[in-house]
Amino acid sequence: MSTKKVIYGIFDDDHALIESAKALKTKGIRVADVFSPFPIHGLDPVIGIKPTRLSNFAFWYGVFGTLSAVWMTWYMMISDWPMNIGGKPSFTWLENLPAFIPATFELTVFCAAHGMVISYLLVNKIYPGRKPHNPDPRSTDDKFVMQINTFDNKRVEEREIMDILKNTGSVEINEKVLS
Amino acid sequence: MEQHVSIREPLILGDKTYHQLTEDISRPVEGKANGLYKILLTISSLLALWGVMCFAYTIGTGIGVWGLNKTVGWAWDITNFVWWVGIGHAGTLISAILLLFRQRWRMSINRSAEAMTIFAVICAALFPVMHMGRVWVAYWVFPLPNQFGSLWVNFNSPLLWDVFAISTYFTVSLVFWYTGLIPDFATIRDRQVKPMMKKIYTILSFGWSGSAKQWSRFEEVSLVLAGLSAPLVLSVHTIVSMDFATSVIPGWHTTIFPPYFVSGAIFSGFAMVLTLLLIMRKVLHLEDYITITHVELMNKIIILTGSIVGVAYLTELFISWYSGVPYEQYAFLNRATGPYWWAYWSMMTCNVITPQLFWFKKIRKNFTATFIISIFVNIGMWFERFVIIVTSLHRDYLPSSWTMFHPSFVDIGIFLGTIGIFFTLFLIFARTFPVIAVSELKSILKSTGENQTSSVSKHDEH
Amino acid sequence: MQYTFSNKSRNICFALIGIGLLSLVGGFLTDSHRAWPNLLLNAFYFTSIALGVLFFLAVNYAAEAGWFAAIKKPMEAIAAFLPLGSLILGGVLILSAFHLNHIYHWADPEVVHHDEIIAGKAAYLNKWFFTIRTIVYLGGWFLFYRAFQKYSQIEQQSYNTKNWRKTQSLAAFFLAFFAVTSSTSAWDWIMSIDTHWFSTLFGWYTFAGYFVSSLIVLTLVVLHLKSRGLLPEVNENHIHDLGKYIFAFSIFWTYLWFSQFLLIWYSNIPEEVTYFMDRMTNYKSIFILNLFLNFFFPFLVLMKRGSKRRYHLLTFVGIITLIGHWFDNFIMIMPGAVKEHWHVGWVEIGMFTGFLGLFGFIVMSRLASFSTVENKQHVFYSESVHHHI
Repeated sequence: MSTKKVIYGIFDDDHALIESAKALKTKGIRVADVFSPFPIHGLDPVIGIKPTRLSNFAFWYGVFGTLSAVWMTWYMMISDWPMNIGGKPSFTWLENLPAFIPATFELTVFCAAHGMVISYLLVNKIYPGRKPHNPDPRSTDDKFVMQINTFDNKRVEEREIMDILKNTGSVEINEKVLS
Repeated sequence: MEQHVSIREPLILGDKTYHQLTEDISRPVEGKANGLYKILLTISSLLALWGVMCFAYTIGTGIGVWGLNKTVGWAWDITNFVWWVGIGHAGTLISAILLLFRQRWRMSINRSAEAMTIFAVICAALFPVMHMGRVWVAYWVFPLPNQFGSLWVNFNSPLLWDVFAISTYFTVSLVFWYTGLIPDFATIRDRQVKPMMKKIYTILSFGWSGSAKQWSRFEEVSLVLAGLSAPLVLSVHTIVSMDFATSVIPGWHTTIFPPYFVSGAIFSGFAMVLTLLLIMRKVLHLEDYITITHVELMNKIIILTGSIVGVAYLTELFISWYSGVPYEQYAFLNRATGPYWWAYWSMMTCNVITPQLFWFKKIRKNFTATFIISIFVNIGMWFERFVIIVTSLHRDYLPSSWTMFHPSFVDIGIFLGTIGIFFTLFLIFARTFPVIAVSELKSILKSTGENQTSSVSKHDEH
Repeated sequence: MQYTFSNKSRNICFALIGIGLLSLVGGFLTDSHRAWPNLLLNAFYFTSIALGVLFFLAVNYAAEAGWFAAIKKPMEAIAAFLPLGSLILGGVLILSAFHLNHIYHWADPEVVHHDEIIAGKAAYLNKWFFTIRTIVYLGGWFLFYRAFQKYSQIEQQSYNTKNWRKTQSLAAFFLAFFAVTSSTSAWDWIMSIDTHWFSTLFGWYTFAGYFVSSLIVLTLVVLHLKSRGLLPEVNENHIHDLGKYIFAFSIFWTYLWFSQFLLIWYSNIPEEVTYFMDRMTNYKSIFILNLFLNFFFPFLVLMKRGSKRRYHLLTFVGIITLIGHWFDNFIMIMPGAVKEHWHVGWVEIGMFTGFLGLFGFIVMSRLASFSTVENKQHVFYSESVHHHI
C-alpha cells in the first residue's frame, strides 16, 4: 500500500508565503492548497486558482428575478383580475409600468443576492454541520499554512521541498500521512 | 502593493499582532459577563417584556387601544416603523457602500452596525404587522394563490412595494452579515477547548476552513453583495418615502422625499451606531479598534447627511411657498406655528443645528460630545417622522374633522418595548458573536496598524 | 511632462468655434425664439460640466481620497472653463430676465399682470432679485475656483501637508456653499422656465445630470492625455474607478429621474403633471431617447468589469452618454421656452459645436499651461501611483 504523504509549511506572514509559493513554482512544484486567516491578495495566480465565475451566476439569477416580476405583475394585475384602483386602470402592462418598477427592482435584487449566496455555499461545500478540514487550528488565527502533496510532485524529492520551504521563511514544517 | 501615507491616522492602535487581534475579539465571547452587562440586559429584557405584553393586549382587544382616531389614522405606529427602518440603514451602508468606496475604517464597525441593522429591521417590521390587527393572517400581504378566487395583492400600492422592499432588505442584509461572520466564527471555533462551545461554533461556522479557493469566492461574493446592497439600501427608504409621497396629502406629496428620506435614514442610522459603539468600546474594551479616528470619520458622515436633510427641509419649505398651492402653504405654516410647533422645532434643533457643531474639530474628536449629539439626532429623527405623519394628517381637508393625536399607554408601551427588544438582541449579540470583523481587520493590520504605519511612513516622505 | 497643444487641435477648435459663430448669427437672424434657448442650453451645459468637475475635486479633497492625486491636473484644466462659461451663461440669463427674449414667462410684465400664479411668485422671480442671485452663484463659484487655483500652485512646489489641510477646509466650505446654490441655481435658471410648475427634487436631479457629464469629460480628458503618452502613472485601475463612477452616477441620475417622474405620474395632480404631459406628447421621441442614452446604454455596457477597463469602449460609451445628457438638458429647457416648436437642426448642432470648440480650446490651453500634468508633490501621490484594485 502506497502512503499518501503531505507536507505542511507553516508561515507567520502572508508575503513570506507568497514568495515561497513563487519559489516552489519555479521548481515546478505544485502547491495543493493554502489555508489562511484572511484572503491573501496575489496568491491565486501563483498556485493556479482560476478567477471564480460566481458573479456571472448572480447576473442570471437577477435576470430570472426581473422576468418573474414582469410575469407576476402582468398575470396578477392585467390578465387574471384587472382592477381599477386609485384611478389607475390596468388596461395594459406598459401603461402601468411605473408602478411595477419598485417591486421588479426588489425581486431582481432578491433573486440575484440569494441565488448567488446559495451557489457560494454549494461550491464552497460549507453548511451547518460540516466538519472543518483546515489542517492546523492556528490557520484561522495567525498562521498561514501551505499544503503540498508529495504524490502530486513525484519528480521532486521530499527533502528538496522541505529545504525550499525552510529557506523561504517557513517557521514550522509538518508531515502527515493520509490514510 | 497598497500604500498608506503617513498623514493618515492609524486605524488600529497599540502594538498588535494577528494573534493579539484574535485574543481581543474573542475575549467578550469567552469571558464572563460583568455586572454592568447583567444590569443592562435585565433592564432591556424587562422593557422588551413590557412591550410584548402591550403587543398581546393590542392583538387581544384590537388596535382601538391605540390613540388613533378617524382623522389621524397613522401616528406612532408608522412613526416608529420609519424610525426603526431608518436606523437599519447604517449597517448595510457601512458594509456595502463604504466597501465600494474602499473605506478601510469600516472594518472595525461594520459587524456591529450590520447586527444593529438586522435588529432594527425586526423592530420596524413589528409595527405594520401589528397595525394589521389580525396578525395571524399577516401572510396575506404576499402574492400567494388563495381560496378567494383570483384575489391578488395590489402591485400599484406603495404598501405592497414596502413588503417587497423590507423583506428583500432584511433577508439580504442577514445573508450578507452571515457570509462575513462565517470565517470569524471559524476563528473562534478553532480556539475552543470546551466541547460544547466547540460544537456550537462548528455549526455556526458552517465548517469553514479558509482555503485559498474559499477565500477567493468569499471576496467575489462580498463584492457582488455590496454592489447589490448599495442600490438596495437606497431603494428601501425610497419606497418607505413613497408610502407618503405618492399620496395627494399636502406635506407628504413632494418629489424630494425619496433621496431626502434615504439621507435621513443614514443620518439616524449613523447616530445610533455611534450611540451603541461608544458604549460598546468601553464595556468590551475595544478602545484600540474603535478609535477617535473612526468616530471623527463617522461624525463627518453625520454632518454630510445632516446637512442634506437640512437642505431638504428648507427646500420643502421654500417650494411650498413657491408652488402657490394654498394647501401646501398651509401645511408648512401649520407645521411651524400650529399646535405641533414644539415637535417641529425639536426636529429642527436636533437635526439641523446640533450636527453642525461637528464642523468644530474639537467637538468632532470628543467622545462625550459625540455621544450627546448622537442622542440628540436619534430624538430629532423620531420627531421628523412624527411631524411629517401627524401634522399632515391632523389638519384634514374638512375643518370639522380637525383634531389632535394623543398616544395611549399601549402606544408608548410598544415603542419602549421595541427599544427593549433591540437592546436585548444587541447585548446577546455582543457576548456571543465576534463583534468586529476580525479576518478583515487582520488583512489591513500591516498597512494601518499603529506600530506598522510608523515604520512605513519614513520611506514615504521623499 | 508637459502637454503640448498641437496646431492641428488648435485649428480644429477654431474651426468648431467658427461654425458655432456662424450658426449663432444665422440663428438670431432667422429665428431668435429658437436661438436664445439654444444659447442658454449650451452655455448651461458646458458651464455645469466645469462646475461638476470642480465639485468632484472638492469632494476628493474633503474625503481625503488618495487615488485621484494623479489625475488632479486634468480636473483643474476642465474646471478652467468655469470663468468664461459663467460669463456667457450669466450674460444670457440676465438678458433673458430683462425680457430680451421669451424664455422666462415671469420676465414679461404683461404675463405677470394676468397670471395670478406667476404674480404670486413675483417676490422671488423678478429681474433684479434674479440678477443678484445669478451673480452670487456664479461669483461665489468663481471665487472658490480661484482659491483652489491658488492652493494648487503652492501644492505644485513642494510636499506640503499644511497646504493640503487648507485645501481640505476650503473644499468643505465650497461643498457647503454648493449644497445650497446647486439647488437654487437649478430652480432659478431652469425650473422657472416652466414658471407654474415646481418640484422639490429638481435641483438634485439637475445636479445628478451634470455630474455624470463631468465625470465623463474627466475620463475623456485623462484618456486623451494617456493616448499622448502623458500620465504614465495613471493605470487601468484609475480608469476603472472613473468608469465605476460613471456607471454608479448614471444609475443615480436614473434613480432621481424615476423618483420625480413616478411621484408626479402616480399622484396625477394637474398643476404638476402638465410638465410630463408636454414632454410625453410633443417631445415623445426625446423623452424616450433620454432614458435610453442615459440609463440603459451605460448601465448595460458598463455593468461588466472588463468594459470599464477598455479605453476605446469607455470612450464610446462616454461620448454617447454625453450626448444623452445634452438631450436631457434640451428636454428640460425647450418645452417651456418654445412649446411644441422644437427642432434639432443646424442651429442646435451648430451652436453645440461652437461651444464644444470653445470648451476644448480652454481646456487644452490650460493643460498646456501647466509645466507638468503630473502632480508629484501631492501628499497622496504615492498612494495614487500604487493604486491597485
